[in-house]
Amino acid sequence: MKSRAARQALLLVALAFLPGIGQAIYFRDKVSWQSPVPASESVTVAQARAWGGDVLWVDARPDAEFASDHIPGAVPLNEDRWNELFPQFLGTWAQGKKVVVYCSSQSCNLSRDVAVRLRKQTQPPMPNVFVLEGGWEEWLKTEK
Amino acid sequence: MKTHFFIGLFSLCLCASLRAELKWDQTVLELHPGLGDKEAVGHFKYQNVGKTPVRFKSVRTSCGCTAAQSQTEEVPPGDKGEITATFKIGDRTGTQIKTVTVETDDASHATTVLTLKSVLPEMLVLNPSFVFWTAGEEAKPKTIVAKAGKDFAAKNLTVTSSNPEFLIKVEPADSTGQWKINVQPKQTARAMAAALTIRPDFPKDAPKMFYANASVTGAPVMPPAAVKAPVPK
Repeated sequence: MKSRAARQALLLVALAFLPGIGQAIYFRDKVSWQSPVPASESVTVAQARAWGGDVLWVDARPDAEFASDHIPGAVPLNEDRWNELFPQFLGTWAQGKKVVVYCSSQSCNLSRDVAVRLRKQTQPPMPNVFVLEGGWEEWLKTEK
Repeated sequence: MKTHFFIGLFSLCLCASLRAELKWDQTVLELHPGLGDKEAVGHFKYQNVGKTPVRFKSVRTSCGCTAAQSQTEEVPPGDKGEITATFKIGDRTGTQIKTVTVETDDASHATTVLTLKSVLPEMLVLNPSFVFWTAGEEAKPKTIVAKAGKDFAAKNLTVTSSNPEFLIKVEPADSTGQWKINVQPKQTARAMAAALTIRPDFPKDAPKMFYANASVTGAPVMPPAAVKAPVPK
């Protein structure tokens, strides 16, 4: 009796797996299995804070969110007004400074987009550009 | 045993037939906004092909540059509707892929990811848009390549520098619609910067301006060199 129940349970588990496996195969090219930001290019709040004055904080969020509140000393640089904000960013940037870009949370992509653009559109590629893990939300948690 | 099997099968069929289900016309939309457009708007159409209402729990976008809105909170069986996704173009370039995550109370398809692909018109692409030299580096020219998009029929470029300490020379590149903008600082002994204004001769009536930047930066901040321990004699 017990073995029959176990067999049935196993059968149910196997059946439950089938749609999942099918979906994973069908959508294999559409599922992102990796974090969009390589570990070497992202930084935690604690790590960035430890860099002290060597950090240039870059706020990639829309203007209204920056105006509402931001990391002290951060400069705004978003793709809505890139052409206007980029020269202002350059005014505060210095070689050797670590650029830490953040947006609202872990799930937002704005900081990654800005970091990619900073690296790709400069010659030589701008060094020491990082994305803040967890973004502004994570910063606020560490402030409490 | 047979009775149990048929009851189980019947329950399964009943559940399947009574379930709610949103059927999407497309979950991936490709948009081609025109030159000068400020937004790209995509309409993701759906229909509830199930037998029970579907309620939207949340509609989230992957980026602050995209807003998404549902027309209604609940979709009765058989009803049609759409999620409107508005992508703010701003100063973005190239192909932009943004997603909208829709969560419903439909247990079988609780989450649907809608993809909005916006192929932005290329006017004049500058690569790179910022060139810099480290203080003390040899003052060799660096090149910015300007490439006109297929609908951007510029024949000539004029480039001016806000700082005369940077020399600018524009020459056509090998391909049509491409130019090389050679930028050279007169010196790299001290920090300086310039804004480069690029004026193509298109559109004829109101030529658009583009910008690049050049600078000589201060020497990078180096960590203090480790002090070597004296070698015992």
